[in-house]
Amino acid sequence: MSLRRFFISFPIFFIIYLIQEAFVTQMRLPLGGFSLILIFTLIWATLSTPEIGALTGFGAGLMMDLSQSSPGPMGHWTLIMILAGYTVAFLGYGDDNIRANPINIVFIATIGVVASQFVFLVLGLLLGQQVGSIKNVLFILAGSAFWTAIVSPLILKIVSFTHSNIFGTRSLL
Amino acid sequence: MRYGGDNRGRLLIIVLIVTSLLLITLDLRGVAVIDGLRNGTQTALTPVQKVGSWAVSPLRNFLSDVTHLGRTRNQIEKLKADNEKLKTTLLNRKNADAQLTQLKKVLDLAGNGGYKVVNAKVISQGSSTSFSQTITIDAGTTSGVHTNMTVLSGYGLVGVVKFAYRNSALVQLASDPTFRIGARIAGTQQIGILSGQGTRKGVLQLLDNTTTVKVGDVLLARGSQNGRPFVPGAPIGEVTAVDNSPGAVTQTADVKFYANFSTLGVVAVVISNPSSDPRDSLVPPKPRPTPIPTVTVYATPGAASPSPTATK
Repeated sequence: MSLRRFFISFPIFFIIYLIQEAFVTQMRLPLGGFSLILIFTLIWATLSTPEIGALTGFGAGLMMDLSQSSPGPMGHWTLIMILAGYTVAFLGYGDDNIRANPINIVFIATIGVVASQFVFLVLGLLLGQQVGSIKNVLFILAGSAFWTAIVSPLILKIVSFTHSNIFGTRSLL
Repeated sequence: MRYGGDNRGRLLIIVLIVTSLLLITLDLRGVAVIDGLRNGTQTALTPVQKVGSWAVSPLRNFLSDVTHLGRTRNQIEKLKADNEKLKTTLLNRKNADAQLTQLKKVLDLAGNGGYKVVNAKVISQGSSTSFSQTITIDAGTTSGVHTNMTVLSGYGLVGVVKFAYRNSALVQLASDPTFRIGARIAGTQQIGILSGQGTRKGVLQLLDNTTTVKVGDVLLARGSQNGRPFVPGAPIGEVTAVDNSPGAVTQTADVKFYANFSTLGVVAVVISNPSSDPRDSLVPPKPRPTPIPTVTVYATPGAASPSPTATK
C-alpha cells in the first residue's frame, strides 16, 4: 500500500527535480542558493513513516545523483538521502508535537539540510573528493541554512497538502 | 507513540543502503552504464534548462544587480573607462594607418623623383579667416627644413615652406590665392604659370598663345634654380577645363590639384635637388576603367517572340 503510494508521489518529485534543475539552479542566488528537492524531500519525510522517508530519500537521492552538477559518484546523494529521510521521519513519526508544528518542521528541515550536506562532504572526503577551503564550506552551509529557513515555510503548506492527498491522511498543518 | 520499526522496514532500509553502496561502487569502478545514465539525463534536461534559463534571466539579472550593486557600478565605470581607452586606441590606430599610407605614397614619389626628403607630420591647419591657405608641419631647421623648399604629398605638390622655425615650419599650400608656380604640361612641354584660387582648383595661364592644351593634360613643376622654391618634375595636377575664348590674349585652363589639402597627414619636404631632372617620370598613371559587361537586346515590333538559341 505504502509502496504504491510512494510510486504515485514519484511524478511530483520529478517535477520538483525539473524545477530545481531548470529554474532554481539558473537563478544564481547569493550565498550559494538552495536545493529545492532536498528541502521538499526532508519536509515530505518529516510527514511520513520512516520507511516512506527512506524510500523518498532513495528516489530523491537518485535524481540528485543524476544531476550533472552533482560532484560525487552515482549513489553518493542516494545514500545520504536514505539516511536523512529515515532519520527525519523517525524524529517526527508519531509525535504530533513535531508534525503538527510548522516551526518544528522548518527547524528539522533546516537542520536536516545542513546535516545532509555536511555528511555529503565528509563522505566525499572519504571517497577522495576535493571540498575546498573550510571557509567556503562554512559559507555554503550557512547560506544553505539561511535559504532553507526562508523557503521551507513557503512550500510547507503545498507539501503538506500534497502529502495528505496522496497518503490519505489528514493534514495537521 | 514512538516508532519502533519492524523487520520488513529494517529490511527495506538495508536493501536501499546496499543499493546505494552498490551504485557508488559501480560508479567508482567506471561502469559505463552509470555515466550513460547521467549523460542521458543531462541530454534530456538541456532543452528544459534552456527554457528555464531564458525564463529566469530577468530575475537572475535583477538578483545579480541587487547583490552586486556596488560592484556593478564600479564595473560599469571601469568598462566605460576601458571603452573610452579602446576608442582612443582605435582612433589612433586608424590615424596611424592613414598616415602610414600617406607616408608610403610620398616616399614612393620622392624615390621615383630622386628627391632627398624629410618627412613631417601636419600638426595644424592654418585658419582660413585670414584668407590664406597654410599648414604647420613638425619639422624645422633642426631637421634641415628651410624657407623656400618644396613640400610634397603622396599625390604631388602640396606647397612651399614659407617660414622655417627650429622644430616646425609654415607651409604655404598650392591652393593659396597668392601661390604661383611655373608649370609645364607633360609630353608637350608647354609652359605656363599656375596660380591658386583658394580651393582645390587652380588656374593655368599658358605663356605661348599659339599652343593648345587639352582636358586631361598633366601638369608638372618646371623647377627653379637649385631646386628652390620648386624642384623640377613634381606632379601638380590635371587640366579639367580649357578656356578657348577667341579674344583672349593668353590661353587659360582650370587645373585640379592632385593633392587633397583637406586630408593632409604626412608630407615630405624636399631638402635637396635631384641629381637629374626626372622629366615626365612622375606623371601618375591613368586610371584604368573597369570593363562593365553589357547586353543589348533588339526587339522588332510584330515579330515572333525570339526563342533562345545557343551561340558559339
